[in-house]
Amino acid sequence: MAHPLEPRLAAYIAGKLPAASDLTVTALERISGGASRETYRFVLNWTEGGEARMRKLILRRDPPASLIDTERRIEFEAYRAFAGTSVPVPEMLWLEEGDEALDHPFFVAEEIAGYQASPQMLLSGAFDAVLPKVAERKWTILGEIAKADPAPLAQWMETPPPDACWKRELDHWEGLIDKDQAEPLPVTRAAIRWLRANPPPPAQKLSIVHGDYRTGNFLFDAVGEIHGILDWEMSHLGDPLEDLGWSLQPIWTFGRAGRPGGLCSQAQAVAIWERASGLTADPEALHWWILFNCVKGQGIWVGSAAAFNRGGNRAPIMIYPAWWLINAQDRAMLQVMGKL
Amino acid sequence: MNPPVVPVLAELAGLLIKNAMPGVPEAERASDLGLSAALLGVAAEMWDRQAHILVEENRAIRGLLGLAGEDADLHISALKAENDRLRAALIEAQAAAETAGDTARQAAIWAELIASTERRKLSTAPV
Repeated sequence: MAHPLEPRLAAYIAGKLPAASDLTVTALERISGGASRETYRFVLNWTEGGEARMRKLILRRDPPASLIDTERRIEFEAYRAFAGTSVPVPEMLWLEEGDEALDHPFFVAEEIAGYQASPQMLLSGAFDAVLPKVAERKWTILGEIAKADPAPLAQWMETPPPDACWKRELDHWEGLIDKDQAEPLPVTRAAIRWLRANPPPPAQKLSIVHGDYRTGNFLFDAVGEIHGILDWEMSHLGDPLEDLGWSLQPIWTFGRAGRPGGLCSQAQAVAIWERASGLTADPEALHWWILFNCVKGQGIWVGSAAAFNRGGNRAPIMIYPAWWLINAQDRAMLQVMGKL
Repeated sequence: MNPPVVPVLAELAGLLIKNAMPGVPEAERASDLGLSAALLGVAAEMWDRQAHILVEENRAIRGLLGLAGEDADLHISALKAENDRLRAALIEAQAAAETAGDTARQAAIWAELIASTERRKLSTAPV
């Protein structure tokens, strides 16, 4: 049975490709996950200049309510900023910010087909031989993101002074926790008090921050190469240590204690990142950013619970992070603070 | 647990009915049912121990705060409401201990917070 979005999407794309005829959208199916955007893959067929053509594409549509509220243009422009660089990203095709075409804003992008993103698959044991290669590529690419010139994105993203990056982020995420928490969070509140009392040094440079750079948000192959960096919806300009801290926060060890991303030691990850970025990860500053990212994680998990509790999005994907990760995130904070 | 178990189970019941009907795209059915199964597993794990966790935690926090009383109403919703009240007071007490430089009191509160995350830990938790 054809998905009801197929003819509507075909009509939208036909308007973007005036030289195309016989345009069809088929095989549209939702990709599991996607708590912040609804993600679908589909096949576009059309005829142009007498020649039949086909592309595998991705549709990313805003849901009714999300665990994080972000601007899809920022995500779209972040992908475009890295097109053709050493940071592998899918090609962005069309951005629609209105509700008319598909009820919610969306964008359409190239599908980087044939690769995997699942952390469970990567860490199943089948890929153990290539995990060092994945780690090398993962933190090398993050270093390249940190090294990149942020100027092209300044028209879309706020540009904070280097000494204000930490406060802007902490204010933002504490504000979301204030708004969304359904229960008191003593460990999280203690962490926030510590972060405010012990601010990090100014950012050594202003960087593009991916915002969700972790195992699960890149496409890998059987030999450990990375073919696409995904999920840029939380991208912004800020301290490059923020992204490194997110990649190192304990929640993303996937149960492999002491192995960020389930891949290697923290010292190895930091060394790869420093080599690729040309920047320094001061241990005390990095500690601040890892703990901050534990607070940020908690903000996301309580946000997913709030979206469910308010009735805006009752999908199971909104429940699972809250049930599985709120207490685990507290334990991650205790670890980082040296309490556990 | 947040969201509370009761509305989650009600939502999952509706989702199972929806996915029993024809016409649901296969990928969406697989995603819905897989996540539902995982959530039912978490609910099952917490079913027997949730009340015990809350009673034990409420007792510990009352002890730290020097409060009298005990849990008479053993409905999860009543225990959770009392737990929320006590944990909010614990946040205030911990902040006050930090301001006062009372390291012994801070250590006692940290010990309870560590114990609370042990009580609440799921068997599949990543940390």
